[in-house]
Order: sequence, then C-alpha cells, then structure tokens
Amino acid sequence: MNGTTTVSFVGVGGQGVLLAANILAQTAMAQGYDVKASEVKGMAQRGGSVLSTVRFGKLVWSPLARHADVVIATELLEGRRALPLLAPQGALICARTIISPGSVLRGETQYPQDIEAAAAARSVTLLLVDAEAVARQAGTVRAANVALLGAASAKLPFSEAAWQQGLAAAIPAKILDVNQRAFALGREAHLNEEVTL
Amino acid sequence: MCSVDSLFLSGNEAFARGALRAGVTFACGYPGTPSTEILEVLSATADRDGRVQAEWCINEKVALETAIGASLAGARSLVTMKHVGLNVAADPFMTLSLTGVNAALVIVSADDPGMHSSQNEQDNRNFAKFAKVPMLEPADSQEAYEFVAEACALAEEFDVPVLLRSTTRVSHGRSRVVARAPVAFAPRSYERSIDKFVMMPQFARQRNRLVLERLAKLRERAERTPLNVLEAGTADLGIISSGAAYTYAREAFPKAWFLKLGMSHPLPVEKVAKLYRSVSRVAVVEELDPFIEDQVRALGLPVVGKEAIPADGELDQEIVFAALEPYLTRRPPRRRRPVMPPAARISAPVPAEPQLPVRPPVLCAGCPHRAVFAMLRKHKVSPLGDIGCYTLGALSPLDSLDSCLCMGASIGMMAGMNKVLGRRAVAAVLGDSTFFHSGVTPLIDARYNETDGIVLVLDNRTTAMTGHQGHPGTGVHLDRSAGPALDIERLCQGIGVRCETVDALDTEAFESALKRELGAQGLGVIVAFAPCALMAPGEQQLTVDEERCNLCGLCLDIGCPALAPGETAVEVSAACHGCGVCAAVCKRGALSVAGEPAGKP
Repeated sequence: MNGTTTVSFVGVGGQGVLLAANILAQTAMAQGYDVKASEVKGMAQRGGSVLSTVRFGKLVWSPLARHADVVIATELLEGRRALPLLAPQGALICARTIISPGSVLRGETQYPQDIEAAAAARSVTLLLVDAEAVARQAGTVRAANVALLGAASAKLPFSEAAWQQGLAAAIPAKILDVNQRAFALGREAHLNEEVTL
Repeated sequence: MCSVDSLFLSGNEAFARGALRAGVTFACGYPGTPSTEILEVLSATADRDGRVQAEWCINEKVALETAIGASLAGARSLVTMKHVGLNVAADPFMTLSLTGVNAALVIVSADDPGMHSSQNEQDNRNFAKFAKVPMLEPADSQEAYEFVAEACALAEEFDVPVLLRSTTRVSHGRSRVVARAPVAFAPRSYERSIDKFVMMPQFARQRNRLVLERLAKLRERAERTPLNVLEAGTADLGIISSGAAYTYAREAFPKAWFLKLGMSHPLPVEKVAKLYRSVSRVAVVEELDPFIEDQVRALGLPVVGKEAIPADGELDQEIVFAALEPYLTRRPPRRRRPVMPPAARISAPVPAEPQLPVRPPVLCAGCPHRAVFAMLRKHKVSPLGDIGCYTLGALSPLDSLDSCLCMGASIGMMAGMNKVLGRRAVAAVLGDSTFFHSGVTPLIDARYNETDGIVLVLDNRTTAMTGHQGHPGTGVHLDRSAGPALDIERLCQGIGVRCETVDALDTEAFESALKRELGAQGLGVIVAFAPCALMAPGEQQLTVDEERCNLCGLCLDIGCPALAPGETAVEVSAACHGCGVCAAVCKRGALSVAGEPAGKP
C-alpha cells in the first residue's frame, strides 16, 4: 500500500522465522529503504504458529499490514494457512517442509494437500522450495530458513551486496559461513523461476 | 421514629448484615480504614449462626483470589478492602472481569475522600470503568445493607464481579436500617470450563468480546434499575449525584430535581437526558473525580461540575450550597439535545479456514511439566493453574489444569475453593518464577489461614515462557552473572509448610511423593524439579520395540510432539529428548530410554 512492499514470514516456532525476517529487514536497510517490522513471538518456542512482517519502501508508516505482497513460509501447512494474507497477484514462497501438528499426528485431522490448487484459486504465484535439501547440501538442515530466503531473494528488489550485508548483520559470526552457502544455493536453484512481483 | 424492626447501624455493620441477608457464605479481605469493620462484624455475627466463613488474608490480592476460588466453588462471596487495596488486587481484578464469576462475587472498595487515614485519595469508580464492571454506590446504611443483595443479583445475572463503593462517611456514618427478608437464590456448583477460566490468549479474546457485549447490556440495565432514581423537584435545578455526596446535595437543595445514581457505572444516559428535559440547569455533585460529569459532558450537555464543586477532599452541604448557589441566579444555559454515545463496535474474530488443522502451542518434547500433568491426571488431581508454559497443560490431551487468572493466583484460588468445597478438593500448580513473583504471599496466607491443599511448584530453573530469564530461585541476573539462589524447599520450611523436592522426570519418586501428599492432611508443597528441556537437551535416546507396541495410544495421550502413530507402532521424531515420560506410561514395555525400560512391562 502506498508504495510500501510487505513481506510476511510464517512458520512454526523454532524454525528460524524471526531470523529470516531480520535478515530481510537488514537487507532492505542496506539497500537504502526505510523499514518497519513487527512480530508475534510469545509462543514461538512452544511449537505454535509464528508470524513476522517486514515492510520496506521509501517511507514506511505502519509496522503492520493486513495483506502481504510476498509470504515466505518455512512450513507447508503454515504457507497454506497464510494464503488469505496475500494480496491478489502476490507470491507465496513456501518450503516443502512438513511439520504435522498434534491433531494430524493423532489422526484427528488431515494435513492439507491442496496448496497448489488453493494458490491458483487465489491467483497467487506459488514457488515451492525444497529448503531442507538445499540446506543439507550447504552443511546443516538448520539453515533451511536461510536457504528459503535465498530462493526468495531473486524475486526481491535487492542487490547481491545488500543481501550479503543483511546476512552478516543478522546472523552470528560463527554460523555465518554455512548460512551464506545455504543462501547462495537457494538463490541459484530458483534464479530463473517464474515469479513476478 | 423507629419501628421495632429498625436498627441503628454504621455502614460497615450494614454491609455485614446485608451480606448475611444476601446469602454470602464466604468473606475475606485485608484491614484498611474505612473498610475494616465489615469483616469483623460479619465474622462475629457469622460465629453465632455458623453459616459464613470469614477470614483476614495476607493482602488484598490474595483476598480477592481467595474469594474468586470461593465464588467458583459456588459460594456467594464478599471481599473487602480500602481504596488503595484495590491497587494491590488489580491484577486478579482486571482479568476477573473477563472470566466472570460462578456464584456472586462482590468487592467492597472503601474510598477515603479527605484522606482521614490514607496515603492518597484515589476515586475507585475509575476502576469500574477500567474493568468494565458495574459500580454500586450506597449513600447510607440502609442502602449499604440492601445493595449487597442487589450486587449479588447483578453479579449472577450478568456473570460479572460487582464493585460496591463505600466512602468514609458511608462506612463510618450511622443511620437507621430496616431489616428485609433474606433473599432467595439458586445454589451453584463448580464445573470445569477452560474457555471461561483459563485466560490464555485464544480464550481471553473470546471472553473479551463477551465483556464488551455485557457492558452494553449493563448500560440498558442501568436505565431500568430502581437503584437509579429520577426524583422530581420544584426548582429549575437538576442535580446528578451518588453516594454520600447525594445526601449533602439533597440537604442543600431540597427543591431541586435529583438523578440519584445507586448504580453509577455504566451511566444511564437516557435518564440523564430525561433530567435535562425537566430542568434547564444541571449540576453534578460528586466527591473526588469528575467521573459522572465527564460522561455527561461527552453527551454534549452543559453542566456545572468541578469548576464549582471541589475535586479534592470531602464535601458537605455548605460546600455544595456555596458552590452551586451563584449559578441559580445566572441565566440558564441554552438547552441542547444530548448526543447519545454510539454502541461500541466489537471486532469480529479472525475467520480461520475451517478445513486447516490448527497448530496450538504445545509443551515441548522433553518438557518436565508433561510428566507432572500425566501423573496428576492419573491420580485425578485437578489443579488450579497459573501463568507460564505449564498453562498449556489445560489443553487437550492433558486436560489437567482448570484455571489461569493472573500471576500467583493459583494458591489463593485453591484456598477459597477448598474452604468452600471441603478440605482438599483442588490442588494448585505454578512455576518457579511465578512462585517467586507472587506465589510466596498466598502460601504464607494458606499457612496462616490453615488452608488444606497441595501446591505443586514446577521448578524448571528458569522463566521459560519468556525466553529463559533468571529469577531469585536461580540467582541468575539480567547479565547472566550468578547471584544468591533461594531454595524453595527451605523457604517453605521456614514458613512452616511441609515441602519435599523430587525429580519431576523420576516417575516413581514423583508418584510416591504425590501419594504421600494425597494421603496427608493440611498444607503440603511438592517441588517437581527438572530443568527446562530447551536449556538442558536430553542425551538419552528413546527406542520403540515394534513387537510390543500395539498402538494402544497411551503414550500419544500425553501430547508429546515427538511421538506419532505409525503403521504398526509409534514413531519417534528427531525432536525427542529421551525424557522417558512416554516410556513410563506404556503398559507393554514397548518404549525404552537408552536401552533400559523406564516403565514396567
């Protein structure tokens, strides 16, 4: 809205959703944008859903937006759940990671299988990323959040240098290396995908 | 001229007798002028007829929590305090507005205009507005006597705690009281209802909408209640007033019209508008804040208020007369139509996509709280809860916690409930950080008031929910430096409370400690000790004997996110900490930790 781009991060507590959001915020600042962000993290370590929103533009007023231009989801069900958050023609960049909630594990509910159809029905561009495989290739599955961000990076208006500044600003030095590799691998793998913003 | 049935009572005596008449069977509070005599009289009177339990509590917060427990248990309850006491009790009070009550719960707040014996002069009518609960203001002893029953009826009809505001002149004034017949009301029993009494975010949001709807209904009631009376006069002057201030204004201006508000919150705006149709000059006479005046001004109506009537100290008839008399000779203000306040919009709940499985927060894999809840459930102990990760124990499949009101509320609520239901009906569960935050005072209170019950302190050595901050039990400071660590067991022993510490993950030790407590009398504390799983990742490995597992589901019923049913046996995910709680509930010895079965085959 008003020349501001909104990117929302969703996932499950413990997946590094907030870190990914912080990398994006730092990158947008490195690119010279005004940035505002907000997160709901009270239940973040208790396996609940997590939502973090980053907004950037020439001048950003509100830290919050009802609809996002891009949703980056570190888990498939959470990506599916976030579809209503997307503005029309928005993009969902979603990891193929599945973390079944208790009700699915106990057989009370079904894990949804309809993310492609639901995205198409909403005219949302969907990019599914095997983030855990990419991260494993980089050295640790824990970097799946950053691998996913790498896949999304090609679709966001930031330079390679800005991304590198964002990564360095948000990630502790001793795990920066492996995360840089995960980011690069994710970025390469999806550089040519058809996602228009 | 007094009839044989009439008594000459102080307001506080009248509150006490009014409570007996209203069927109040549990009362508590903390002494504070001018509220103190209410409980003393109640206790002395109750001793004669034996119907009422009344006690002094350690402070106003614990008193309110105890009264809440009694209300949940089904006893009409009264809690008394002076105005500043409600500051101490504000934490349970504000959330009590969301949970509502079971049997009536009436809070007497005795304000002290003029600060005869107080450190400040706060006007507690603001608390009624703040918490969106009704405020009743008796003006003399007869009303003090009758308003307790009115408050009880409102509390039960609207599922709301009711504030009954006294002031020094009401509490310590004396006047004639005509006794009335005892009121009839339906008895209530306790039923577990987590969406009403466990105020975690998803339930609190629902309750909050009900609070706003309730406020609108209370406003309608304020228009119709006989407590709010429009008294016709002969002069072209209308006075809106409440409490003791009404008596001063009535004496100063005997010919004026009066809108006498016995229920001053929510304000009956239609009745205010009616007064403005009857007279051209209106004044609000109230002690302390412009509580009514501000709301009248918000209707766009001209009013004489705090520019004439002092905003501090006590009033009397001469102050009121001198303040308003000059306005009688001035030209009355131009009449205006009131602009009625619109009904507040209540936001709609965010629609969830119904076909998608929800992902509620759960106790982590390896969480030692799970072991405690599984054992409590096994022994059919239903605890009142508190604020922390362990509040999640209220949810399915553990279903092991009945309430969550505010920090440290579990023990006081347990005390009230057990006093009403008899001995050890419920237990209390709270975490180590919550215990130090505000669990120590209710424990001392429980000792002082000879409460029976079991208190479980889930000591995971940190303030886990907020991200592992230190507290006095760990001695860890903000900068992570080490300081003196307090020992909960020794603290309990120091106040004369039986206490033992057991390893929460040692099933046998914990079960035998629980059994010892269940067989004991009086008050006991069990410290269930085991560090937070997120701080102390387990090194043991859980293995499943697929031959023995018959997918009975007992282990799945403890709600561990690391366990899932597979095709032929349960499957363990990488999230497992090897805590062994599942192995302990398995009856077929199919689960074992580090090769050793923790449960019995």
